[in-house]
Amino acid sequence: MLILDLIVNGVIMGLFYALMAIGLSLIFGILKVINFAHGEFYMVGAYAYTLIALRLGVPVWLALPAALAAGAAIGWLTERSLMQPLYRGYTSWGFMRDEYAVVVTFALSLFLINLVDKVVGPYPHRGPELIAIPRMAIGPIMISGHRLLAAGLALAAVIGVMLFLRYSAWGKQIQAVAQNRFGASLAGIDTGKASAVVFAVSGALAALAGGLLAPLINATPDVGSFPAIKSYVIVVLGGMGSVPGSIIASLLLGVLEGFGAVYISYDYRDAYGLVILILVLLLRPQGLFGERAREV
Amino acid sequence: MQHFHHRIALEFTLVLGVLAVVACLPVVITNPYWLGVIIVSMYFALLASGWNLLAGYTGQFSLAPACFAMIGAYTTGLLAHYFSAPPWFGIAAAMVVAGGVGSLLGRIVLRLRGPYLALTTLSFAEVIRVVIGNSYNVTRGDLGLNVPGIFDSRLAYYFLFLAVLVLVQIALFALLKARVGLYLQAIRDDEVAAASRGVNVVFWKTAAFTISAAVSGLAGALYGHFSQLVSPELGLIFQTGLVISMVVIGGIGSLVGPVVGALLVYIASEWLRDVGGYHLIVFALLVILFSRFFREGLWGLVRRALAPARAPLPAATVKRGWL
Amino acid sequence: MSLVARSVTKAFGGITAVNSVSFEIAAGELVGLVGPNGSGKTTLLNILGGQLTPDSGAVTLDGKRIEGLAPERIAHHGLLRMFQHTRIFPRISALDNLLVAGRALGLGPQAALRKAEQLLDELRLREVMELDGANLSGGQQKLLEFGTCFMVPPHIALLDEPFAGVHVTMKQIMADVIRRRHAAGQTFLIVSHDMPVILELCPRSICMNAGSVIADEDTRSVLSDPRVMEAYLGGATV
Repeated sequence: MLILDLIVNGVIMGLFYALMAIGLSLIFGILKVINFAHGEFYMVGAYAYTLIALRLGVPVWLALPAALAAGAAIGWLTERSLMQPLYRGYTSWGFMRDEYAVVVTFALSLFLINLVDKVVGPYPHRGPELIAIPRMAIGPIMISGHRLLAAGLALAAVIGVMLFLRYSAWGKQIQAVAQNRFGASLAGIDTGKASAVVFAVSGALAALAGGLLAPLINATPDVGSFPAIKSYVIVVLGGMGSVPGSIIASLLLGVLEGFGAVYISYDYRDAYGLVILILVLLLRPQGLFGERAREV
Repeated sequence: MQHFHHRIALEFTLVLGVLAVVACLPVVITNPYWLGVIIVSMYFALLASGWNLLAGYTGQFSLAPACFAMIGAYTTGLLAHYFSAPPWFGIAAAMVVAGGVGSLLGRIVLRLRGPYLALTTLSFAEVIRVVIGNSYNVTRGDLGLNVPGIFDSRLAYYFLFLAVLVLVQIALFALLKARVGLYLQAIRDDEVAAASRGVNVVFWKTAAFTISAAVSGLAGALYGHFSQLVSPELGLIFQTGLVISMVVIGGIGSLVGPVVGALLVYIASEWLRDVGGYHLIVFALLVILFSRFFREGLWGLVRRALAPARAPLPAATVKRGWL
Repeated sequence: MSLVARSVTKAFGGITAVNSVSFEIAAGELVGLVGPNGSGKTTLLNILGGQLTPDSGAVTLDGKRIEGLAPERIAHHGLLRMFQHTRIFPRISALDNLLVAGRALGLGPQAALRKAEQLLDELRLREVMELDGANLSGGQQKLLEFGTCFMVPPHIALLDEPFAGVHVTMKQIMADVIRRRHAAGQTFLIVSHDMPVILELCPRSICMNAGSVIADEDTRSVLSDPRVMEAYLGGATV
């Protein structure tokens, strides 16, 4: 039945979106900036998974964690080399720290895309599936084995991150820093390390999304741009800095896009999210669950 | 205004000097390919100048400049295609339409700052690009729209672009020298304070968006008639990224930075493309390095080298400062 | 001219920051606004200056209703203010800071330049006039912000803690300027915790506590008013 199919597939897409959006939301929560290179963390994950599995002949069950590690590494490196000025007090951009973040992550995005383009080549790469079952029936729904497994892994990752944030020592520190950086540092929390951990986790999650979707997309160096834009929409819709908000918004967007593509127009499906984004930013900038936008 | 006046007069003189050099280049460079490269770099110089007014002087980091170039290009293209409008009309219309959409965007993002502003302008740009790309029946979508040229000789286009670039620099200089320049910078530095001193923040912010968009639209229209093909690729976020990078490398918030940045970066990247294709990587790396360590860009470096006595206090002694 | 506030109220969430505040300041008065932290003084100033809109009540300047108007309009009506956390334009020079204020309120380029140089001399900021705002010391920045209020003499100047964290010499300069201008007819409303200065400068004071006005009379009486002492010190007094 079409509706059920749309909903299930929408939720599955939403889970993948959530992997990207959670990372972005965490970064915003802790540094109050948007990471415009987030799509490239995803791209790195897709490429890492595909190349490690295909070129190095590593079994997929190892290639996926390797991709995760690659994402974490890139995230961590990004934070250590580029993000410190945002909280170290001195940045050559002084009062325009937001603008610094925009420019530097934009440039990073450009850099990563072109680096991969040069080193690996501009031709599309298709990653191997996790499991070679093309079609199976779950109740009234037909779904491929890989998709089902990937969705399961994504769900596990999302739950894992939520638990991590809520119950682990690191998670609590991250929450503290997100709420009040200065206060957290007074309480003895190493805010720099917390930022680095957040970036590493975000990178890992985005890379996981890339790895899981690698068999379904034809990865080219700029494959990250679309998911990135979707994540921006989700993060704003769910409330910048709110992880639960991002998750709910991701699922919503996944389902809405699916329905929109079928019932309204397939061609403009990428535009729906953007229009929603603009409307939300104008009417309810704190999104569904977020903190109030910084004003005066 | 003495301090700012002197600085901006100096920058303006330098820009004219640079453009005078560009005017003389065709004497030594006759290869049409390279003439074309310089023409395209002047296209970017126009975009960069417009964006710098909005971002460098008014503090609004919009991610939509390429979008307005695309709007300008399509305005003149569609007018020529469907109504056989003459190029001069199309170009003028392009400025008006782009400026109008720009002021709309400006009103939309009035209350937004930082990442929210960036995201909204980004989405705005993307929506328009998707709409144009998908309106196949009107715009021929990704295939692109054929646009009639203006001249037969590439040299004529060269001097048209140069003339427009000079005129835009003169206009920007006049604008910034007057109280407008003060108001925009006040808005950039502290909107609340600016309002409390009597600056009409709403009006001038919207004006900055409008002028910046109009300049971008002008650039796009000219490019359309030069390349004789307009496609949605003009409005890609990547193009905006190029513009921002050029301004940052050249020196944001100065009159000379965007022009020098655009010319240098684009010409150098084409030259590097010949050499090995690493140009974009090098270029992105430069932007990262400049923004990370030296946000005043090349122009800042030059200023520092030439006038150390007037340099502001070093970073270590200024807690909240900027270099 | 007079500044009249009538039953101005503003609440944030569950807290009523300004609770039905009413007062009247006539032309030429020099009034102090005192009260413990959290009493609503800055919120009141933000309402008067247009940065906030009151939930109810009216503010009139020279007979014109100004509550809810945009700050720039209020500035044009003749109400200029200083901020508690110094607000100047950090990336333009001290001179340009003054010029913004002057030009925005209608001065021509020559007149604004002349006035700015005059003020720079008066405030002893001449030597630093070409420095960017960010490169001035904290006290110099406060003086500069103070100066921007006088490029075009306002009907009333609202000063929010102008003496906070300022070096004694600069305090003197500011106090002198205030005294001089007051003698020439300038109206002031000064928020401060610096009691000696308030006592010295302001014939009349208004005291707020927990959003309401609890005293509004000559400064000496206000400062010896038991309610005021209780507000500051807390607890019962004999």
